[in-house]
Amino acid sequence: MSRAARTIRVDTLARVEGEGAMHISLLGERVADVKLRIYEPPRFFEAFLRGRHFSEVADITARICGICPIAYQMSAIHAVERALGLHIDPAVRMLRRLFYCGEWIESHALHVYMLHAPDFLGYQDAIAMAKDHPEVAQRALRLKKIGNHLVALMGGREIHPISAAVGGFYKVPRLEQLRTLVEDLKWAVDASIETVKFTAGLEFPDFEQDYEFVALRHADEYPFNEGRLVSNRGLDIDAAEYEDHFTELHVKHANALHSVVRGRGSYLVGPMARFNLNYERLTPRAKQVAGDIKLKPPVRNPFRSIIVRAVELVFACEEALRIIEQYDPPAQPRVEAPNRAGVGQAITEAPRGILYHRYAIDEKGLIVTAKIVPPTSQNQKRIEDDLREYAARLVAWPLEEATWKCEQAIRNYDPCISCATHFLKLTIDREDEAGTRK
Amino acid sequence: MKFRIVGCGNLQRMDDGAGVVVAQRLRELGVPAEIQSGGAFELIAGWDRDQHLLLIDAVMTGAPVGTIHVWEGSPPHLPQSTYLSSHGFGLAEAFRLGQILNCLPERITVYGIEGDRFGLGEQVSPEVLAASERVAQQIAYEFAAESQEEEPVQFAD
Repeated sequence: MSRAARTIRVDTLARVEGEGAMHISLLGERVADVKLRIYEPPRFFEAFLRGRHFSEVADITARICGICPIAYQMSAIHAVERALGLHIDPAVRMLRRLFYCGEWIESHALHVYMLHAPDFLGYQDAIAMAKDHPEVAQRALRLKKIGNHLVALMGGREIHPISAAVGGFYKVPRLEQLRTLVEDLKWAVDASIETVKFTAGLEFPDFEQDYEFVALRHADEYPFNEGRLVSNRGLDIDAAEYEDHFTELHVKHANALHSVVRGRGSYLVGPMARFNLNYERLTPRAKQVAGDIKLKPPVRNPFRSIIVRAVELVFACEEALRIIEQYDPPAQPRVEAPNRAGVGQAITEAPRGILYHRYAIDEKGLIVTAKIVPPTSQNQKRIEDDLREYAARLVAWPLEEATWKCEQAIRNYDPCISCATHFLKLTIDREDEAGTRK
Repeated sequence: MKFRIVGCGNLQRMDDGAGVVVAQRLRELGVPAEIQSGGAFELIAGWDRDQHLLLIDAVMTGAPVGTIHVWEGSPPHLPQSTYLSSHGFGLAEAFRLGQILNCLPERITVYGIEGDRFGLGEQVSPEVLAASERVAQQIAYEFAAESQEEEPVQFAD
């Protein structure tokens, strides 16, 4: 058994966004090879953007993802505004945070309950889970609906919102419109706290890794749109320096580039990185809820990211309430953005982690070059590194269970390969020493 | 009973945009229609028992392209594995979840428009476009009839 060669293969990953597959080759107790294969066709968004006016960037990049369009809009708009040297009204800045809260609420509620929780409870999918736990499914759907409602109110519609603009918003909500959300959001805070308790009660494998966590850090806010990019290994840079410290590598088995920290290798972005690097900036209640279940930084077990997401749900609901309670509509929804040549970079915190955009703009306001590095691309190599370590512990497990556990390890990252198909079918081939498949 | 119309699909996936095309046409005709991706969780979020839910989506059953299918019931009995969903959880899963959570609308009508091509792109097959127009006209007619039913009857003096 120990010298047998085996292959763990998932041809189509399920409960992740987009089209990907997993391939793990085991030789005895050693993991010989790990590939997270992203075969979804390249989408060429960076090329589409060339020659378009900067005012179109938010609407074009929102199409990259149906789950996190706001993240794309925010990174794009901030990068363009930096290229143009625009200064944004603080009230608009607050509205952008509110917008992001909506996306975090709907995305985290979807992932925690519908995509990830079934793994821990032993269900094939959320529908099977709902049969035994209808109250959990009800809570998930209502939380998601509240997030959707907030996004629709801010963005003009739920999918691919259209209100965000360079310089501000095309249209901002009235105070009375935002107040219609208050009761729902108060319920959502309580439901999120229940979510933390629910996730804390799940069983977690004993698996910790020595990660380089990378996230934005702001002087006094839990990060959405602003801050320096920091890590637990001494990184502390402005977004403009991102490409000096990170690089993308092409690997044959994936249509998405692998990001690495220059000279160091893989790194982790997303809820665990944010929590570990920004714990002090959470709301007092979010910290208290985390403390009640003994969740303190650094969290190094990626399976426990489901609890961290739940804590971020508490934060996002509370932050949305705070912004609405203090809302003073901006004097004007947006400032004029005259054509001007320049280069701008920005990083914002998508639900899955940092999203980097860079644009070079000519004097007519047309995009000359664009670069977009999504969070899943940044986590891709880290997912493979996790699988390499984790699969080695599963050598003696029955193949079906080992396969499920490896899929679960991928879903720890809530990968968003694209906004297209997702369903998971995993197969494992065994080979004996003579290379004969069993 | 509230009348609710939802067109499902993705205009960037060729014929998968059929439901969206119908919803857009209905709006032009003055009929309120929502547009959704067709994911189960989005669909179910707005359901309640006291609804006549009318869903339009692209399907692939092997029938000639442009064929219009109509399924009714609560839930309607959809042919196995014929629905297309870009998110894994589609209409059939939404109906199952709606039953479990007891929020399935009392009356559901599904219009399925047979598609042919579902790759990347915005080109919708001419047969699908023609079928979409027929479905839009039919729904607009139903909507007008249902609206009239709800209006109080006026008696002449």
